[in-house]
Amino acid sequence: MNRGNHWISQIKRNYDLYLLLIPGLVFLAIFKYTPIYGLVIAFQDFNIFKGIGDSPWVGFKQFDRLFASDEFGNIMTNTLLISLYKIVILFPIPIIIAILLNEVGRMWFKRTIQTIIYLPHFLSWVIIAGLFVNIMSPQTGIVNGIISYFGGEPINFFMDNSYFRSIIVATAGWKEAGWNAIIFIAAIAGLDPELYEASKLDGASRIQQVFTITLPGIASTIVLMLILRIGSVLEAGTEQILLLYNPTVYETGDVIGTYIYRMGLTSMEYSFSTAVGLFESVIGFILVIGGNALAKRVTGKSIW
Amino acid sequence: MKIKQSLSERVYIWLVYIILIGSAILCLFPFLNVLAKSLSSNWAIISGKVGLMPIAFTMENMIFVIRDQLFQKAFLVSIYVTVVGTLGSVLFTAVTAYPLSKKHLPGIKFILLLYIFTMLFNGGLVPSYLLIKNLNLMDNLGSLILPALINVFNMLLMKNYYESLPESLEESAKLDGASNLRIVFSIIIPISAPVFATISLFYAVAYWSNWFSPMLYLNDPALKPLQLYLRDIVLQASDENLLNQDIDSLLNLSPEGIRNATIIVSTIPILLVYPLLQKYFIKGILIGSVKG
Repeated sequence: MNRGNHWISQIKRNYDLYLLLIPGLVFLAIFKYTPIYGLVIAFQDFNIFKGIGDSPWVGFKQFDRLFASDEFGNIMTNTLLISLYKIVILFPIPIIIAILLNEVGRMWFKRTIQTIIYLPHFLSWVIIAGLFVNIMSPQTGIVNGIISYFGGEPINFFMDNSYFRSIIVATAGWKEAGWNAIIFIAAIAGLDPELYEASKLDGASRIQQVFTITLPGIASTIVLMLILRIGSVLEAGTEQILLLYNPTVYETGDVIGTYIYRMGLTSMEYSFSTAVGLFESVIGFILVIGGNALAKRVTGKSIW
Repeated sequence: MKIKQSLSERVYIWLVYIILIGSAILCLFPFLNVLAKSLSSNWAIISGKVGLMPIAFTMENMIFVIRDQLFQKAFLVSIYVTVVGTLGSVLFTAVTAYPLSKKHLPGIKFILLLYIFTMLFNGGLVPSYLLIKNLNLMDNLGSLILPALINVFNMLLMKNYYESLPESLEESAKLDGASNLRIVFSIIIPISAPVFATISLFYAVAYWSNWFSPMLYLNDPALKPLQLYLRDIVLQASDENLLNQDIDSLLNLSPEGIRNATIIVSTIPILLVYPLLQKYFIKGILIGSVKG
């Protein structure tokens, strides 16, 4: 039987499985690929009344405008700084938490800690913004209460350009650091317990085991997660920043995502804003593909 | 036999416990502080002295929030979107993930690639917004559900779970002459409780917490879900619901106390559901994240 016939008979025998794919494919076509097609307006002077078909094509005009604009330098700096702070400061925390949890023998203690540190992940950014605006309020917040108690001046954190980025990084860490440990906890759970037994017989201490067994054992997971993370380096946390920022801190807090939102949906600059989004997507895509190729070479594993 | 631990070993273990307890306190602290404030009287909140325990305990803020018509309406809209959305999403995801777990069938790998590509590259804000506009979904709760029906990450989690099931399970059913669809509904789905619980929780939380889409797509105040309402009350400090109150009832109430109480009451549904599902989702993630 040749390949083609084999395929046809396979499809015939499993036609019901292929039927199951249809609803998902319809969804994919409408809600995922139509917007990707819609990216062509980045090369137009899109007019909502004319539609894509009749709007004039302008080549790279929107991109030229972006690179020449006054805001471009500022939003790129803010985006990259906030993202890099988030990666450098926040990426190691879940790994450390996973390693520490692995050292705990008492199951009830481990469970309780896990339940509590995963919790913030399940709160919305609106709630989290509300919580932090509340505890950091200059008038009634407990953080400023403590600062005043020790004789300091109350700080208006959300209006101060010298604190804004730190607040973005800290609140992101509060929300996700515990939750992100899950993948590393899973990786550690997959390590062979005999490795620990053997090294114990060799007289290794638990601290030594962290460096000789646990970390090398989850190294490939760490590399893969880092690549995925770097792929979204231009996504500095749009929803989070939209909820926490205000014009006073645009100087340090305005990022690509918030700029796209303001230009696209507040100023209705559809084509320009789509061009900014396309720029962000293309760079993210290149970073993930490139990073994945690099990981394949270094660790022999890849994301897909 | 218990080997005597060295001093450095014991210090290390102490540090482990201290750091973990410290992290847990850090996670709970903002929440407990706001909870305490929501149960405190106005003067105590304004004095800035409320820490982790309520001062001059009062339930009035809580009662005010629960009785508030606008809050109730927004809460119901959110419950509706979350329930309908989660049911639809779990159904779509489960049905899509099963055939995609049969990689040996022709065309499946290509379709899988079509899904994965959308994780790495998407149309972004304006094209998605224009799509919703063109579909006439503005000011329609469908705009919150339809574009979110399948989350590719959740779908892959489910696909990996299906792949981890022993093949013998399906083969014996096939020998008995069961069709693929029967196998899915009578064998696969019933044994997939952990991963169903996991992705139900993920979807429910995503629908419940979504602020961005309703902000973009809904203008009609009657359709305002909880997150939009919260943003107005908690972050923009719009106190329109306070204006209609007579002075007497405002004695213990304050905008600040109401804001705190609103945060707490809106979090309660998640606090109720999350611990119930937790034992499933840790299992579900562990199995689903093992690459097949």
